Amino acid sequence: MSSKSVSPHALCSFSFSFWLPQMVPFRGSHWQTSLLAFRASLPVRAQPKKKKKVDVKREQAQKDRMKKKIKKLEKAAPEMIPIEDFVTPLKYSDSNRVRSLPALSFEETERRVLLMKKWCSFKQKQDKAEKKAIQTLVEAQQEALKELRLESEELYQAAIRRDEGLFPFERDGPNYTPPLPGYDPPEGKCIDITKVYTQ
Amino acid sequence: TAAAPRPWRLFGAMCLLRLPRITQPLEKEEEEMAALMEQIELEKSHYSDHEIRKLKEEEQLRRRKESMYDDDEAPGKTVIMAQDLEDEWEQKLLRFKAAARITDADKNNNRTSLNRKLDSNLMLLVKQKIGNQDLWLMPQVEWQPGETLRSTAERAMATFLGDHIEAKILGNAPYGIYKYKFPRAIRTEDNVGAKVFFFKAFLQSTDLSQAELKGDYLWVTKDELGDYLKSEYLKKVNRFLLD
Repeated sequence: MSSKSVSPHALCSFSFSFWLPQMVPFRGSHWQTSLLAFRASLPVRAQPKKKKKVDVKREQAQKDRMKKKIKKLEKAAPEMIPIEDFVTPLKYSDSNRVRSLPALSFEETERRVLLMKKWCSFKQKQDKAEKKAIQTLVEAQQEALKELRLESEELYQAAIRRDEGLFPFERDGPNYTPPLPGYDPPEGKCIDITKVYTQ
Repeated sequence: TAAAPRPWRLFGAMCLLRLPRITQPLEKEEEEMAALMEQIELEKSHYSDHEIRKLKEEEQLRRRKESMYDDDEAPGKTVIMAQDLEDEWEQKLLRFKAAARITDADKNNNRTSLNRKLDSNLMLLVKQKIGNQDLWLMPQVEWQPGETLRSTAERAMATFLGDHIEAKILGNAPYGIYKYKFPRAIRTEDNVGAKVFFFKAFLQSTDLSQAELKGDYLWVTKDELGDYLKSEYLKKVNRFLLD
């Protein structure tokens, strides 16, 4: 491509030699910015252009190769992140770690089984009571809304509208002891050492 | 008849709840089960690093006692044993004194205080004049046209507790209703009775020293409500109160 195009600089130099007898103050080339100053830099003509084009081509080829490599890597399946909890570290499988306790007696196993059964029925009663309480709650509310509707339709519509400010509802749960007034908690810093994996 | 104005007067009442601050004590079955679970967990577990260290040191102590002059450890080096650490932790725990679960208000049975019965819900009751009777009720005011029932309930709360109350009202819908007819003496065609709609709210601000409490007020648990409320009213209120 470069061999075929005629560089305008070549034309320029040709014109310079042609017009010389007229002694017109004429700049030799655009590299010479003022008439009196010396040539500041070597007027390298054809070379920089070739380098630029070849460079551009080479750089583009390099970029394409990199992109292909990246695509290949992306196509490969993402590596699974190991779940730390499911992998027991090897140091805990040593035999010296196994606890040595006396075997359970027959009475003990019996007691445990009976306790489990008592617990099962206790929890079932608790659950039933909770469900019944929720049922009464809902019924009471429905009755209230029915009465309200009988009273006025617009009040009813205002009542069944969703309350936007209610959720997200946050509350600190109850503790074992009430807060101690004037308690100064000890100073300390918690350094998080969990390993973070990226896929 | 459908276009005739309803003869019921509407009231909005607020049931303000102070949520529990401490956990309720465990039932007998719960305690037994918790102990059993701990035991089973212990049996299924392996020794931890601390326990291994403790066992090794006990072993060393025993060997040193049996063979009197066993000095293979460098003499003069003070070693902190695992048992010492455990004793130190025990001492630290005993030195800490937590706040009491049963407060002074509990002991005095001061029903106007918020620090009573920290493990259950407390409801607000105020003494109001209805007709010519002074009754203990949930704070209520009459509904005025132009406001929703929820704002009526908020107004009721503000009337009795002042403006600086932070309470989270649970939704726009009423939780319960108490309907009653006026006694025959004052009943008219337009004024048969009243409907009181209850709204529930959770008290967020922890101390009410700022609040200007007007008149008599009480903070009671659900079981103690029966001491103050009339039976019909109590029946309706109990339906929407858990615990």
